[in-house]
Amino acid sequence: MAFRLNPLTLRKLQRFKEIKRGYYSAIGLVVLIVLSLGSELLISDRALFVSYEGEWHFPTYGDVQVGDVYGLTGSDAVVPVDYRELASRFEGSANTVIMPLVPWGPHTNDAVGGVLKAMPPDYERAHYLGTDTTGRDVLSRLVYGFRTAILFALAFTVLTYVLGVSIGCAMGYFGGAFDLVFQRLIEIWSNIPFLYMVIIVFSVIPSTFAISTRIAILLVIMVLFSWTSLTYYMRTETYKEKARDYTAAALVLGAGTARVIFRHILPNTIATMMTFVPFTVVSAITAITALDFLGWGLPPPTPSIGELLKQGTANLTTAPWIVTAAFVTLVFILAIVTFIGEAVREAFDPRKFTLYR
Amino acid sequence: MVLLNVTARKTVRLLALPLIGLLLAACGGGDDAADAGADAAEFEARKATMLAEMQQHFDTELSLPPSVQEALERGELSQADIDARAAQGEFEKFFQFKTLADLPAELDWDDGSDLPDIGSPDAKKGGTLYQSVSDFPRTLRLVGPDSNGSFRPWILDNTRMWMGRRHPNDTSIDEDGNFRYFPGVVSEWSVDIENATVYMRIHPEARFSDGVPVTTDDVMFSFYFWQSPYIQAPWYNNNFRRNYSKVIKYDDKTFSITLPEAKPNLFFLAMEWDPMPLHFFYEFGEDYVQRYQWRYVPTTGPYVIKEGDLSKGRSVTLTRLDDWWAKDLKFWRNRFNADRIRITVIRDPAKGFEAFRKGEISIASLTLPEYFYEKLPAHDDLVTNGYIHRSVFYNDVPRPTYGLWMNSAQPLLDDRDIRVGINYASNWEKVIREYFRGDYSRMRTTADGFGEFTHPTLTARPYDVEKALEHFAAAGFKERGPDGILVNGAGQRLSVSVTTGYEALKDTLTILREEALQAGLELRLEILDGTASWKKIQEKQHDIAFSAFNVGTEMYPRYWETCHSVNAYDIPWLPDGSANPDRKRKPQTNNLQSIALPELDERIEAYRASADVDEMKRLAFEMEEILYEDGSFVPGFVIPFMRTGYWRWVRWPEEFNVKLANSALKYHLFWIDTDMERETRAGMKQGATYDPVNVIFSQYRPATPN
Repeated sequence: MAFRLNPLTLRKLQRFKEIKRGYYSAIGLVVLIVLSLGSELLISDRALFVSYEGEWHFPTYGDVQVGDVYGLTGSDAVVPVDYRELASRFEGSANTVIMPLVPWGPHTNDAVGGVLKAMPPDYERAHYLGTDTTGRDVLSRLVYGFRTAILFALAFTVLTYVLGVSIGCAMGYFGGAFDLVFQRLIEIWSNIPFLYMVIIVFSVIPSTFAISTRIAILLVIMVLFSWTSLTYYMRTETYKEKARDYTAAALVLGAGTARVIFRHILPNTIATMMTFVPFTVVSAITAITALDFLGWGLPPPTPSIGELLKQGTANLTTAPWIVTAAFVTLVFILAIVTFIGEAVREAFDPRKFTLYR
Repeated sequence: MVLLNVTARKTVRLLALPLIGLLLAACGGGDDAADAGADAAEFEARKATMLAEMQQHFDTELSLPPSVQEALERGELSQADIDARAAQGEFEKFFQFKTLADLPAELDWDDGSDLPDIGSPDAKKGGTLYQSVSDFPRTLRLVGPDSNGSFRPWILDNTRMWMGRRHPNDTSIDEDGNFRYFPGVVSEWSVDIENATVYMRIHPEARFSDGVPVTTDDVMFSFYFWQSPYIQAPWYNNNFRRNYSKVIKYDDKTFSITLPEAKPNLFFLAMEWDPMPLHFFYEFGEDYVQRYQWRYVPTTGPYVIKEGDLSKGRSVTLTRLDDWWAKDLKFWRNRFNADRIRITVIRDPAKGFEAFRKGEISIASLTLPEYFYEKLPAHDDLVTNGYIHRSVFYNDVPRPTYGLWMNSAQPLLDDRDIRVGINYASNWEKVIREYFRGDYSRMRTTADGFGEFTHPTLTARPYDVEKALEHFAAAGFKERGPDGILVNGAGQRLSVSVTTGYEALKDTLTILREEALQAGLELRLEILDGTASWKKIQEKQHDIAFSAFNVGTEMYPRYWETCHSVNAYDIPWLPDGSANPDRKRKPQTNNLQSIALPELDERIEAYRASADVDEMKRLAFEMEEILYEDGSFVPGFVIPFMRTGYWRWVRWPEEFNVKLANSALKYHLFWIDTDMERETRAGMKQGATYDPVNVIFSQYRPATPN
């Protein structure tokens, strides 16, 4: 490990723990992320467990099963199993089906009363937040949408920091022509409007790409247009640290470039960068939601918070539960991430802890 | 070269203008007179060039028989061959100039005056109609790039007179095999079926909105205009050559149109067009597309766009001409009643509907179930208080072709078994039953609603997973992969994309997608904005297009545009008749299926050339059967009615609308009762209520909707 936890960092963490609002928000967010990683076990139209004629099946993560596995006949035998229907079919027999808490996948159209339309929350049918305009469960779409958004945001943050920190640090450390050239490049690059670039690139990506590929492309574009702002901070911080006596001392002792950067400069600059992380996550979630809202994000029928917001605003008066659910979720997530950010900033405040008093 | 210089100078001056304006603000505009002089000289020069080019075209354009034109298209004849044959006098000229003495003596003139009037005698003039569009028009040109957009009905289709129009209520067919027509710009006409010629006389009062009378010079110019490459509109270029053979001027008001073949309802081609004003197009030339981009073409109809009424990106206002020459003529009186029509751009349809509910928009379509049952149901306060009226009107017209158009030039879709499998895997029944709530019906063929020309028995393939799997297996897709999608021996997944520009109908596709997954087929959805999607489809880059062609009220369906091989590939066949292995897809045509079948081509050409109703029907049915066998079109749904919501001061004739109406506004039969508007708007504030109105008009409901 490049960075060992030094006493200073421990004190910062201690301080972070003392800021209750931020601390509990962080715990809450971690729990939410962990839960969302296992969404299939809680919210899915695939059964958790099927016992059929003494054999046990766990369909959640396996291959798609067709009906003849469970002795269905006719056209049911050749199509993917509808576990909800299977459950009612098995009622009163020795076979059992255990469905997840919410037995609806994010894509399943449920025609209540034979009509596909937005339905208000219905506990009997286990639509706890109602359905959207084509009878899909809002809760299910919200949870899967949240998972995509938060994973996207985390990946975005990691990649942006790797790029921004390394380039910024190199600029600050090497200075001179390297710094000059990169600064000019960054100035030009950061003047390209990011949203338009996404829209332009997405309009030319062929739809033959799988959804995961499209998400990856979106990620790459967003990272490419976001790392520049970090370099400014990183560059000045590195310049500052490089001029300090301890760096000079390390150089005099014969430390190489890599050792100086990784052992001395980075650990001392990274604290500043840390305070930006939660806000980067917030901006990533906002960006992907905004893109989906505008219809330039993930292709339908991928569940997403932005798409729900769009549907919700289009049906504001007739189906208020859609927009309420999406709005509350978005505000909640952004709020807790912002709380974490505030706490981190407070805890890492260099005026409280510094090596050079 | 002179032309180029002139344009360049003008651009420079335009750029410099704001600056000069600033500088000269105190000194007065001494340059204006000189500028005007230069402008006039430039205009005269352009006019002379334009008239010379037109005369040149009149002198050289030949009337080529369709067989010769098609041979030229196929490359069997060269332009040199044509020139050689023309030199021997084989072909007549397209544009001919004769005198009244040349007019056949025993002509039998008709003016459609025995037909019933349209519109209500109760109609009152006045008021403003407020409407919205989702996109600002990209041009005010009627022809050329970007002109075929959703704004076109306001400045072309619904508000111009044409030479004559088909009667929208009397849909009978006369002894010559024509629909009944009433006069527009022409006051009378005479048909010579044997020679496929219609003689017409322009109404003596007919004039354009700028006051200039309509003459046969405008007619001759119109055909020059539509045949000219300057307009950048291939369909017009082809249509006004292939489907017409001669236009003859006899005097200022009398002319004739000759068609290559005396097809049923030759009035459609002979009369359904609007004359272009020659005096307006004196500057017509290579730069037509830019030069005329934002100039309103003078109209023979009732509405004009006045200067200042075009607020770019925001709204367009049409104003009724008080002294419109046709305002008291039968068939035209009692229509076009609103004084002004204000069309505002509201990009989001949901927002547009809210504007309607607030009274900022006068009329809204409730055809989508979402609006009829959810956003403005019969129990809504606005309806129960009688502020907004709702009506359902069953019409009887050829139906737009909503369905899945498979591009058979794409991999996977080039296999007929896969195409047929996709037919069986498309659950339109569920979409119609559960999403459209059973109000719409399933389309049967590519040409529904053409009466006797629609195939009597053919139906679309039903949703049937087992049959779909059977056909996919025949194409090599036998096993399901881990995600439930079929894969073939090579590990390729059965996955195709569906492109559409119908944002409002995207829900239907998500339902189709879920249902197709049952049959192991993945449909990747690509919802683009209308223009982007249409561009992709026109470039033939789509796998499957979910789209529809709007169909005019014609007598018989068209097949050449959508099914002929010359519209699928540049050089579809080798000289020996086999498929050309190096053929390239032909962009900008309506053959969305890239369908190229010799047996189909043969029938399309025979159908185009035929003048015999029974033969045409037989050919139409055979072509539908070939298309069914080919399986590259999945018929979607037809909407047998239009549902409309309107504020109570928007009044309608007793019958509500005409049989052929495909939108409530199409024939401009409504009128605005301004007194009632004032009373209601004031009354709403005090909580006044009126009788609720929910009406169904089923007098034109066909026995079978398609």
